[in-house]
Amino acid sequence: MSIKDSSFVRDRIVTGISSTRRILVDWRSWDRALVARVIGIVIVTVVAVGLRVWGVNQLGYNTDEAVYAGQAAAIAQAPVLKDIFPIFRAHPLLFQFVLALIFSFGVSDLAGRLLAVVVGLAAVFVTYQVGKLLYGVKAGLLAGLFFALMPYHVVVSRQVLLDGPLVLFTTLTLFFLARYALTHRPAWIYLTGVGMGLTFLAKETGIILLGAIYAFLALSREIPVRLRDLIVSTILMVLMIAPFPLSLLLAGGTRSGQNYLVWQLFRRPNHTWDFYPSLVPEAIGYLVILAAVLGLWFLRGERSWRERLLLAWIIVPAVFFQLWPTKGFQYLLPIAAPIAVLAGRAIAHWRPNDIFIRTRRIARRSWIKTSAVAILAVSLLISSVQLIRPATSGTFIAGTGGVPGGREAGQWVRANIPTGATLMTIGPSMANILQFYGHRKAMGLSVSPNPLRRNPSYSPILNPDAQIRNGNIQYVVWDSYSAERSPSFSEGVLRYAERYHGRVIHTQSVTVTLANGTKVDKPVIVIYVVHP
Amino acid sequence: MMFFKRFAFLFVLLTLLAPMSGTRQASALQSGTEPNTPIEHFIVVMQQNHTFDNYFGTYPGANGIPEGVCMPASLSEDGSKSCVAPYEITDEPISDLSHSSTTFLGQYQDGQMNGFIDTLNRLNQDGALSMGYFDDTHIPFYWNLADEYVLFDNYFSSAHTGSVTNRMYWVAGKPGSEKNRIPEDGYGDIPTIFDKLQERGISWKFYIRNYDPALNYRNPQELDYLHPQVQWVPLLNFDRFLDDPELSSRIVDLDEYYTDLENGTLPAVSYVLLLGATEHPISDLSLGERATRTMLHTLMQSDAWESSAFFITYDDWGGWYDHVEPPQVDERGYGFRVPALLVSPYARMGHIDHTLLDHTSILKFIEENWDIPPLAERDAKANNLTSAFDFSMAPRPAILVPATREVPEPRIEPRRIVIYITYSAAILFACLIVAWAYANKENFHAARPMEEIQP
Repeated sequence: MSIKDSSFVRDRIVTGISSTRRILVDWRSWDRALVARVIGIVIVTVVAVGLRVWGVNQLGYNTDEAVYAGQAAAIAQAPVLKDIFPIFRAHPLLFQFVLALIFSFGVSDLAGRLLAVVVGLAAVFVTYQVGKLLYGVKAGLLAGLFFALMPYHVVVSRQVLLDGPLVLFTTLTLFFLARYALTHRPAWIYLTGVGMGLTFLAKETGIILLGAIYAFLALSREIPVRLRDLIVSTILMVLMIAPFPLSLLLAGGTRSGQNYLVWQLFRRPNHTWDFYPSLVPEAIGYLVILAAVLGLWFLRGERSWRERLLLAWIIVPAVFFQLWPTKGFQYLLPIAAPIAVLAGRAIAHWRPNDIFIRTRRIARRSWIKTSAVAILAVSLLISSVQLIRPATSGTFIAGTGGVPGGREAGQWVRANIPTGATLMTIGPSMANILQFYGHRKAMGLSVSPNPLRRNPSYSPILNPDAQIRNGNIQYVVWDSYSAERSPSFSEGVLRYAERYHGRVIHTQSVTVTLANGTKVDKPVIVIYVVHP
Repeated sequence: MMFFKRFAFLFVLLTLLAPMSGTRQASALQSGTEPNTPIEHFIVVMQQNHTFDNYFGTYPGANGIPEGVCMPASLSEDGSKSCVAPYEITDEPISDLSHSSTTFLGQYQDGQMNGFIDTLNRLNQDGALSMGYFDDTHIPFYWNLADEYVLFDNYFSSAHTGSVTNRMYWVAGKPGSEKNRIPEDGYGDIPTIFDKLQERGISWKFYIRNYDPALNYRNPQELDYLHPQVQWVPLLNFDRFLDDPELSSRIVDLDEYYTDLENGTLPAVSYVLLLGATEHPISDLSLGERATRTMLHTLMQSDAWESSAFFITYDDWGGWYDHVEPPQVDERGYGFRVPALLVSPYARMGHIDHTLLDHTSILKFIEENWDIPPLAERDAKANNLTSAFDFSMAPRPAILVPATREVPEPRIEPRRIVIYITYSAAILFACLIVAWAYANKENFHAARPMEEIQP
């Protein structure tokens, strides 16, 4: 019996091939809407994955990534790192806990980044779902596309940061709340509580969105909520949040939590008032914001609770963090998804004839819409690609990407500097990176001896002269990134290197492009050995 | 025919191999200065005036102070019957206890080892002080070294007298003079290990902290006493080491140690005097610890580390109590035990070595490592330090030993299981509620009538 005669081949493969061929030939019978949706989903997925995976591990961790990955390594009891990085710092441990499960098979910076990518892709999917739920499939696909391409989210979802999980869970919460508003089923308001709990566990700053939920429900009389449902939802949220205080209390981190609270409350402003206005709109995309605003204006006739929900989700965190003295590039990330949804809605629901009423020659709406989508998408794509390319100027903003040369310098430290050595860096940022990759203790000179003026995780170098003279610090590290931000401490580090017979034992260079286009190797990290 | 072919083949083969064997021989000759072990750099720091029990008497696992020891305060029949047990020195002032050969004999008491207090009392010193000891609160760095590398607990000073004679044993394997004193005309032509190294073309240096080249045995009159540098560096009492530039240029300031490490020119054998930081009572012990630590850490940070051994010991007992009766191998020694530590990438980890050793064991190691014949009877008979090494293992990476003793303070190790349980429970709980909500189809399709919701 030949293989063609077997029943399996005949029944499954041959039949399958012939039916597939029939379907392909008879393409006119396809559900065009379904095909369009599938093509749309494929495009969004390809774009989302491509932008997040392309060169994801080209640069090593930045300081925040090093800290979170270090925490995960400490939870996973990774050798050496568990003694360098404390488990309890400022934030809850949901993401670090999941990362620790991966790190229990071995610490890898790539694994951490890939987990962040997966979380980022999930956020894109949920954004699509929100858009679809509120405004239909087209709006959902466009929202997903804009979000997938948005530099703000692309750059964060390529890094081991808590803001990636934060935006996933805030958007998921938004989805549950929207579903409640649509169905009035109590299950969804319960899930809103669960979503808020997950949001808090990802990063406690997400609790601000309780204000958005309150504002939305208070302003939407057409969406009443029973007190009993609200109580159940709140209880679920509290139960979800419980691992944070419980683990602090039972696992021995209460003191850390209290120290961080005090520090955060009395922390001095770290940026000027124009920090967000100057950075965030560009990261979200000026055209996306313009599209969202124009949509709100021109489609005001379709106004409903939907826009109120999305605006509450945008305005509350934006106002709060603008007023809060401590600012961070990623803090406003939860507003990105609702803006993408509004932009998607604007284009999906836009009727070009409304605007081009006098230019009827432009007949085909779809052509105009396609062009608008293409312009938006390309502008976002260009911005994202520029942002995720390795920095070539030797400068960086915290949270915007990896640190060129940091991983390599750390690996050099691990291979060449004896165990038990302590390094002095300009600030704690480079110290974190060198500790993660170098497995050696590093302390920042700029860490304040005043407990109210320093992150409780960091120890100050009390009397650096004595520390070097007594042989407690054996290496001094200068880096161009910290030097740019703290020129005085940069000078301090170089002064110690000179005073204690500093000898350069390693220089980490990166190739940078000068203003005239020529490429040169620029030393970014210099390691000195010092002795009294 | 076959025979000739084979012969011809053999001839050609031998002809080809002959130059190669010549090359190998030449190479062997050139490598005559190569060590017999992986140790290419041997650094010896000799500090001063402590016994093993005085420094490591309470070190766990070592042959330290026996339980129940109580030293008689007086040996005279009509004297006090009281005794003094070893005690930890805290804030009380200490003094430079007598450590002459007469003091040794009085303390040694023909092997009874019960005259430590009485002998010093008779010299109008506080004899009870000899029973004091230091521990890891005073010398944390040395205790940390012992934890990580090798501590010797059967290492004796070579002579039952003071520094001058013991340091001569260190360099020459013999006393150099009848008394613990430098002869007026120097040590003459007594051969030292450095002469032998020089002859063999093996590099060496004598590093002296705060070295003053103007000070040697010829000019004590200006100071009216022998400067410590002169007493404790035997080479400054040899004419040839003062006059021959080839030799005198190798007696250098300690700064050169650091530049040698930096330039990769550390010699094969280095002797070190940490003048001003020798731990000689009543000086600050931490100065000696800091000086040796800086030297050691700089070595560890250099390329030389992988082929180095760093040895720390003490020239004599300084009048302090030690409970082990020193074997008397000849009329001059041994003296009481002194502390000794070995740090090397090949040193056994956290090892306490019980081999019978003395200062001439240092010579023995150098001689056997670089194929140098013994200088004298003592070093010929001495045991080698090699029992402290394990050359079969790969060199250990350097560990910068901390200056402070890691007190096992109640470090609260986070209970990770709590994190695992609570966060796993949260994730599981969320999944269950989502599954419950999605399992009920009604949640998706039918909105409840408004009147049902409104109170």
